Amino acid sequence: MIRRLFREPPKYLAILGMVPKVFMAYQLWFWIGLVLSTIAMAILYFFWRAVYGGTQAIAGLTLDTTLTYILLAQVFRPLTDVDLIYEFGYNLREGGIVHHLLRPLNFQGMFYAQSLGNLATQMVLQIPMALVATFVFGLRWPADPVVWGAFLVSAIMGYTALFFFVYSVACLTFYTTEVWGLGVLFFGMSLFLSGGLVPLAMMPGWLRTVVLSIPFAQALAVPINILTGITPLAQVPQVWLSQLVWVVSLWLASNLVFRVALRKVTVQGG
Amino acid sequence: MSVIEVSQLTKVFRIPKKEPGLGGAVKGLFRPRFEAKTAVDHIDFKMDSGEIVGYIGVNGAGKSTTIKMLTGVLLPTSGSARILGRDPHRQRVANAREIGVVFGQRTQLWWDLALIESLNLIARIYEVPPARYRQMLERFSETLDLGDLLKVPVRNMSLGQKMRAELAAALIHEPKVVYLDEPTIGLDLIVKERIREFIRSQCAGTGMTVLLTTHDLGDIEELCQRVLIIDAGRILFDGPISAIRDRFGKYREIAFETVAPAAGLSLKLPRGTEVVEASEHRLRVRFDRTRATASQVASQAMNQTEVLDFSLSEPDLASIVKQIYNGALVK
Repeated sequence: MIRRLFREPPKYLAILGMVPKVFMAYQLWFWIGLVLSTIAMAILYFFWRAVYGGTQAIAGLTLDTTLTYILLAQVFRPLTDVDLIYEFGYNLREGGIVHHLLRPLNFQGMFYAQSLGNLATQMVLQIPMALVATFVFGLRWPADPVVWGAFLVSAIMGYTALFFFVYSVACLTFYTTEVWGLGVLFFGMSLFLSGGLVPLAMMPGWLRTVVLSIPFAQALAVPINILTGITPLAQVPQVWLSQLVWVVSLWLASNLVFRVALRKVTVQGG
Repeated sequence: MSVIEVSQLTKVFRIPKKEPGLGGAVKGLFRPRFEAKTAVDHIDFKMDSGEIVGYIGVNGAGKSTTIKMLTGVLLPTSGSARILGRDPHRQRVANAREIGVVFGQRTQLWWDLALIESLNLIARIYEVPPARYRQMLERFSETLDLGDLLKVPVRNMSLGQKMRAELAAALIHEPKVVYLDEPTIGLDLIVKERIREFIRSQCAGTGMTVLLTTHDLGDIEELCQRVLIIDAGRILFDGPISAIRDRFGKYREIAFETVAPAAGLSLKLPRGTEVVEASEHRLRVRFDRTRATASQVASQAMNQTEVLDFSLSEPDLASIVKQIYNGALVK
């Protein structure tokens, strides 16, 4: 058992390490993405300046806080990007799912490693965006290492919760085999519901309830709130605890869903 | 102990039955109807360590379904399969460590990456010791001629190169049991030859057990000592290739080149002999070699008409198998 504990992680790390290599095969996307992200950032920046006009504070947030929040959310946007729906759909259609099942590895673990690799790659590629945010739009980065630590823990848990959620939904493609619509729907939802465009504090109460009851915001709004100080450090343990509940319950749910969905593949032959 | 033990293995698929037209589509939405289709029907066979067995049958006969059940990715409806004593579905991960699989129509390689990256990853997943891995890589580079291919992304490979790469990926961890599902599909003769040679060299002395499905009987003749023929989910034949010839290849043909127009001839030939072709100066007859000998047929024919030349042909494996597929066995 102990031996396995040491022998298994390197395999998943190896899978994680493949992601940046795959990404480098498509260098053009990097440049296109950079241009598009800069435009998106500029639009959001000027939109929020215009919204505030001469107002001091909206829903308790000053213009400065809101701009910091929005810019940070743009820089850390890869946290909302769990791209499993296309991945599963593609694998199912091309029959690659069989090869995944033939690996002597945990199926979910394989995709989690791959997603983490994706996140790490995307974050490195966000460095130019961070520079744009800092030098063009005047983003002031938090300096307190405790805040950064609190943010990192929250971001990882939020991302993990979102992973399990998307994984569960992606299992639906075992039945529908149609992924484009589901993928687009998810992309649109993640953009808005993660709180990347509008701070949670400004949403009407009912909408905030909705947003907080699906896990997109856990991956972006919740950790960014910690980073910007909108959530004070004193409340962080409470936030962590609730995120932990998210992770554990979605992990259980995703395993349940997968077990049922796998039957579809292994019983009906995909 | 047998490496592969299959007993009464059965797979029944439920296929949704769709009625034509919009009405049918709507009806199917509310009250879907299913049809049971038996893809594999109570099959039994065993394979011992080191055997290379050819698994043949027409498209849709149940070959791939059998292989999927043996690899553990498909759950049998009933019956059982044991691979090295394990249940491949329930012990999927443990089973996966011991097997290697090539599906001729699918890839297990990373499309965008150089082949060596995929191989490195696979070696780590299967815990191939680094020294052994280097050794295997060197051997494969030679026998599969991978040398330059290692740095080429899979998407830029030709079909033949891809298949060589797939084989390397499936065998780099030296699996005990290997399933090859149409490994030579669509390949030219030279690549086919190389792949057969590679499979043979891998099996020699390692005790690797191979189940090979193919439509190319050349693969079977060159690699397999034993053949399983499956049709409509049932095993029609299980035995050595020579037994197929003895059992099903009892007809032979003689072609005569005659002086007189062949169509006008009416020859008296031994019992069980029939004329297959009679055109211009060519007469082809088929006889049952258990009932008449070639010399009897030839001498009788030559006694009755002037023959310039004649040739005797033994049916090749392909035509015998075609006969079996066509239901010769059922009669």
